[in-house]
This record gives sequence, C-alpha cells and structure tokens, in this order.
Amino acid sequence: MESGKRRPLEGIRVIDLTKIVAGPNATRMLATMGAEVIRVEWHDQRALDMLRMIRPSVPGGAPDSLNRSGLFNNLNAGKYGITLNMSLPQGRELFKRLIAKASVICENYSPGQMESWGLGYPVLSQINPELIYLQITGMGKSGTYKAYRSVGPTAQALSGLTLMSGLPEPMPPAGWGYSYLDHSTGYYGAIFVLAALMKRRRTGQGCYIDLSQTETGLMVSGTAILEAQISGRPTERYGNRMPFAQWAPHGAFRCHGADQWIAIAIQNDEQWAQLVDEMGSPEWARASRFAHASGRKAHEDELERLVAEFTQDQDRYELMQRLQRRRIPAGLVQNAADRCERDPQLKHRRYFVPMPQSEIGTWPIEDFPARFQNTPIDVGGPPGRAAPLIGEDNNYVYREVLGLRPEEIAALKEDWVI
Amino acid sequence: MTSEASLSSALEGAVVIEAGDERGEFAGMLLAMLGAEVIKLEGRHGSNSRSMGPLTRSEHGPEQSLCFSRYNLGKKSVSLEFEHPAAGLVHHRLGNRADIIIDSGEADDVDRRLKFYREMQKSNPRLIVCAITPFGLDGPYRDFKMTDLTQLAMGGVMASCGYDPRPDGTYDTPPIAPAMWQANHIACEHAVLAIFAALFFRELTGNGDLIDLSIHEAVSNCTEVAIPSYIYNQAIVQRQTGRHAAEHPTRPWLRRTKDGRYVKAFMFWSRHEARVIGEMLSEVGIEHDLDSNTYRELCERSPSAGHSHLNGLVDKLAASMTAEDLFHRAQAKGLLWASVREPEKNITDPHFQARGTFQSIEDLAAGRPLYYPVSLATGGSMPLTAFERGAPRLGEHTREVLDQLGITEAELKLLASQGAI
Repeated sequence: MESGKRRPLEGIRVIDLTKIVAGPNATRMLATMGAEVIRVEWHDQRALDMLRMIRPSVPGGAPDSLNRSGLFNNLNAGKYGITLNMSLPQGRELFKRLIAKASVICENYSPGQMESWGLGYPVLSQINPELIYLQITGMGKSGTYKAYRSVGPTAQALSGLTLMSGLPEPMPPAGWGYSYLDHSTGYYGAIFVLAALMKRRRTGQGCYIDLSQTETGLMVSGTAILEAQISGRPTERYGNRMPFAQWAPHGAFRCHGADQWIAIAIQNDEQWAQLVDEMGSPEWARASRFAHASGRKAHEDELERLVAEFTQDQDRYELMQRLQRRRIPAGLVQNAADRCERDPQLKHRRYFVPMPQSEIGTWPIEDFPARFQNTPIDVGGPPGRAAPLIGEDNNYVYREVLGLRPEEIAALKEDWVI
Repeated sequence: MTSEASLSSALEGAVVIEAGDERGEFAGMLLAMLGAEVIKLEGRHGSNSRSMGPLTRSEHGPEQSLCFSRYNLGKKSVSLEFEHPAAGLVHHRLGNRADIIIDSGEADDVDRRLKFYREMQKSNPRLIVCAITPFGLDGPYRDFKMTDLTQLAMGGVMASCGYDPRPDGTYDTPPIAPAMWQANHIACEHAVLAIFAALFFRELTGNGDLIDLSIHEAVSNCTEVAIPSYIYNQAIVQRQTGRHAAEHPTRPWLRRTKDGRYVKAFMFWSRHEARVIGEMLSEVGIEHDLDSNTYRELCERSPSAGHSHLNGLVDKLAASMTAEDLFHRAQAKGLLWASVREPEKNITDPHFQARGTFQSIEDLAAGRPLYYPVSLATGGSMPLTAFERGAPRLGEHTREVLDQLGITEAELKLLASQGAI
C-alpha cells in the first residue's frame, strides 16, 4: 500500500482489546480495509493475549520474547500496538481519552470484565456518543447464559456444529478440528461494525453490539434447523455423504501414499458415466444397480468401497486432473503443506503475501480472499506490516493520537501505566 | 423489529441484484438482513436451489426446498431470463437502479454475464459487482468443477476435521467435511465484507468496483493454526476426534453422558479445574483423590500421569449425569463446558428465546411458520437483526420490480411473448 493512498476505512480508528482468534479476526478485517486499529495490551501474563506465547513460533530470539508467534502475527497483521495497564486508575483514564478519539471499540473479554473496570458501554458512550462498541462473547451478554464462559469449541458444541460433523452413530461427532466459530464470529463482528458505521453516517448515532458465538453457529446451521422442524426427527450426522440429494458416490477416497485422500462428488448420471470410463469400465461399475442416481444412493456403502478400491492406488494430483478434465467435481484433501507448496492456484493469485514484522522479519501472511479492480485493501493495513510488537507504537499513539508530551510519556512508563 | 439500535436498516436504500447459482445466495440473504432491497433474478423455471434438499415433499405446491427457503429470506424474486436477447431492455434500467450485483457460479458462466455488468457500469459507474466463483476468475484451477465438499477438501478444512489416528499414527477413517454448505457460508461472509469495503470506498471516490472473490481462498483463510503451523514450524496438524487438530496428540474433549449424549469438556488441565471437578465428583457421590497429597504428588512427579488420572475421573463424572445437567453444573463452577446439542434444540431454550435468536417466519415450502435463526447479536436486549418476510415465490415480484423500472405494459408483453419473462 502506497503511503497517502486512500483506503475504504480511512479516518476510522478502532480500539482493539481483543484476544485469541475471534476478536482479532474481526479487527484484522477492519485493518485490511484501512482502519487504524490500535491493539491495547499489557505486559502482565494474565492480561496478555495467550497467542503471543504459544506455538507456532519463529525459532530463536529471546526465550521470553512475546513477538515470535506465527498465529498472532497472522491474525494481527496491519494493526498498531500499545501497552496500557488497565488495572490502574491512571490507565483507565488514559483509555477513556483514547475512546474519545475513536470510532469503534472491540473486545472479547469474559463477561463482566469491562464493567468491573467501570468501562462498560453506558460509560464509554457518555464519553463518545458516536462510539460503536462490539463485544464478542460465547453466549451473548443477555439471556439466561449471560454469565456462562465459553471458547470457540464450547459454542460449537452448543450450537449444533459439533454434532452435525462426522460419521453417523455409533461413531462420536468429529466436530470441527479448529475453532471455526472464532473465524466466523470474527467475520460477523467486522460485518456488524461496518453496518453500524454505515448507519452512523445517516443517524450520527453509535451503538452497542452484543455478538454471540453460539448464535453465529446457529446462523450457519439453518437448513438443519428447518429440516428438523419438518421431519420431527433430531438432526443426524451423515459423514461426507449428501443426505438431501441423490449424489453418490460423495465422499473422501483414499489415494496412494500415507493419509492421502481425494474428495469426489457425483451429482448425476453423466458424471457417473465419466467416472466409470475413467476407472476403465470395470464390470462392477456397469451393474444396473449403479446406473442411475437412486440405485447408487441405495447401494452407497458398496459403491464407496468399490470406488475406494480404484482410487487407493492412484496419485491424487493426477487423478484430480483426470477427473476434472471429465468435468467431475473432484478435489484433493489438501493439508497446509499442500496449500503452501503445491497449490498452483494460490500461488497464481498471490494468496500468501510477504509482510514484515519488526522482530522476526518478513513472513508470508494469508491475504483477503478477493481481488478488487478499484478498492485498495491491504492486509498490512495502515502501518504496512504484520502484527505489532508489544507496545511497538506507544510513541505514535501517545504522542500523535493523544498529544502527550515526551516527559508525560516517560512519567507514565515510570509509573508502570504504559 | 422495534429496537432503535437495529442494524436491519443499516443498508436501507441499497438495491442489490442477485444472479447466478446457490453459491452466492447466503451473501444476498445477509445483505437483506441488514436492510438492503435484494432482487433475485431467476429464470422462468426458477433457481437451481429451488430443487435442492432438504425438501418438504408437502402438498403445498411447487415450492418444496428448505434450502431455498433458508438462503433466500427477505428477497424479492424476479422471473427474468437475464441473458435472453430481449432482456436487454431491462439491463440498462436495472443497472441504473442497482448499487450492488452479486453473481456466483462457475467462472465461465459468471464471466459471460460480466459483459452485461460492465455495460451497466458504463451508465452507472457507482455499481459494485461481486463475482463469487470456485477459484476466482483466473488461474490454473479456474475452470475446475466444484461442490461444497470438494471446496472444503481443497481449502484445507477437511484435513483438520475427523477422527483420531490408530495407535501407530495411521488413519482408518477419512477426513470429514463438516455439514451444511460451510464453504458457501465462508465465501459469502467474505463477499459481504468485500462489498462493504467497496461501498465505503465508493463514498470516497464515487466509483463502483468489480470484486473477484475466490471460494477456495476464502475457505483457505478459515483454517486457524494449520497454515501458520506449517509456515513457521513446518508442522502438519493431525486430525483428532471432536477437538482441535494438533501437531501432537492431545487429550479428549468429548465425554459420553448418562443419557447417551456428549458433553464437550474443554480443559486447560489446570489445578483449578482439578479442584472444581473434585467438588463436582463429591457432589454426586463419586469417590476421588483430587484433593489428596497423593494426587498432588503424582502431578508434580508426572504431569502427564496426573492428567491421565484426572481424565478418567472426568469420564466417570460425565457418565453419572445427563448432558444438560453436566453442562449447567460445570458452567456454574466456571468450566468452559457445553452439551453437544442438535441445533434445533436451541429453539426452545429460554436463553435463545430471551435473546430473540429465532424468528417465526411463514415458510414457503412448509406452508406454515417455521423458526429460523435470524439474529446473532443484540443491542443489549433486543435482537439487532430480523427479516420482514420469508423467501419469495418464483416471480412473486416480477411485475412490481419491472414497474418500478418503468417497463411499460407493451414492453412487458414483448418480454413475455419472446420468453424473457
């Protein structure tokens, strides 16, 4: 991003008190669009984002460095970083001064933390009536479970996402192998902030957004919720199969090599005929029970076993290319190494963006997944870099944003406030 | 919607044209949820999603798809063969009325329609076009034929989801694609973000945009630690049952409860958690030694052995009560546990009722009201979003929208006689 170039969210300042994934993901989106996102952190272990201290991390450096985490670097790209001791009254006063100069605050503390500091929405909106306050919690800040504690996996369990993922009973749920609801809640957090900013331009009013991770999970389970109301039966798991269409085979099939798989989705008889041809038209595949979709669906167990016998000796990349040439939906199950090293599409689209960080140097960061003809977005945000070191931008923020004199900043450091 | 803080009017006045297939429908629904007028262009026979399951198989007429009902909430339906030569007289006026066009599908199909949209942009330079395709509009995989399953495979989600390996580290179960169109969800959430970026930039410059959104990149963007683990430590995370994929095996989270269900017992394996679990065991009369010196010494001597011991006791605790009972008791003691529920169980949960999470909406396919999840945030107590109407019948708004565009009666007849509407 060239300095001085206009950005969609120019002039929008976001005070970022978020941690782990959901909140930082929301503010990362805003930074990518050009908002000035200021992460507020403190040196105390209890106040730090634990992501700063866990793997993956860049080897080397000081053993107690807080600036070498890979996931933190990815999720906090494009933001500024300051230190501020919120447990001190002086720190909270300074925080209020920041709020007066901000458009948005985002936080995902456990329920009640901001109120315990006297910094809940009613207080902050008095300071800045145009403030948009995004609070992300597991269950939401109102309702019976408002005091319940949660992380992404908790919300995934309650919302139904865990139960719906995996092989049918008697196998247990497979669930999601990561905090999907940290990602998606982050997206919705950013969407709601953007919607509130848009509305504020008309009304001049800020607002409070009490965003729930569990409700986010319900939002992306919608069809199952409707189906259960119609059928009167509880939602079930179907593995990789397609329960609501006669698509078969439809699943992941083992290929040559250790834990190598290809996903194949046959949606109609023409695709099936092409697959049969690709397999060399074996006698079993020409059986009348497999000729039509309903027959394939009725014999899905047998069909999957036979298709797997074909795929197990195949090179997954070659098979994917051959199937795609026949217009059969097929895609290999890519792990991170596949995506980073062997995915020509991601390489062609320059999905991984080299981005500098002040301690660990330049590393690839995942980009926003769209290309724009006009709108300048940049995962490096206004500072043009990956995540900030802890307190890296104290001078910029305290001097230029709040207008403090150098001696005032020195005194605040001396008093362990910043 | 009565809350003044409502975001259901955030995009009031914005007109969205939605074309293409089911891949972009959720984006249109989200924009409708935020107050945009979303006009869905369907051919005379309707979108392909009108025949996508789950189906009601009811007696209520041709509308049977719950999938369509869900992803088209709050939209208007115009039955128009957009690429029909006679439809040209609508394009110009439609383009002038619209702020945003969402199109989705295979790259060739979207590319073909882009030439119309570019023409529209000549007379309405403020028009924002968002093209949602499997891999974007260029690149070696551009023309690959994809489904939600294959997108979740290629984008890296499946590699992280599934079951524990066998003791020798090999897998006898496949990677799992979490159900319910999640690749489309992820892509559409990013599409809405991209559209907002273009809207804000348009306010600065007066110019619209062409957004080329890749479902593959969107899904890739949503795999948490998998990519950083490889980039920074050359590590591949391994899938595990009901918990996060990890570089090295971790202890289970899922616990079978007395009623045959599961609780997800997310734990940090701290001393505090051991003490709380000890209290819960005592409360239900299960003997334990978690408050003993023996256990403390075991943890000091071998944390792993201590965790194994605690792990066994958590299993016993779970087996002694129902999933819902354990969920609430654990939360009352500050543990981050939850019952593993079917999503529909939450409709009758007082928590979600109090928050207005679900809204009863007349369902096209069911012929009666159904509860839809419509809100994921409140403004303090009232939900911030809701829908004014359910999904539209095919062509329900054709006449209304064409009237608004100034299409005359004679032009309507011409369009109909030539098979464009």
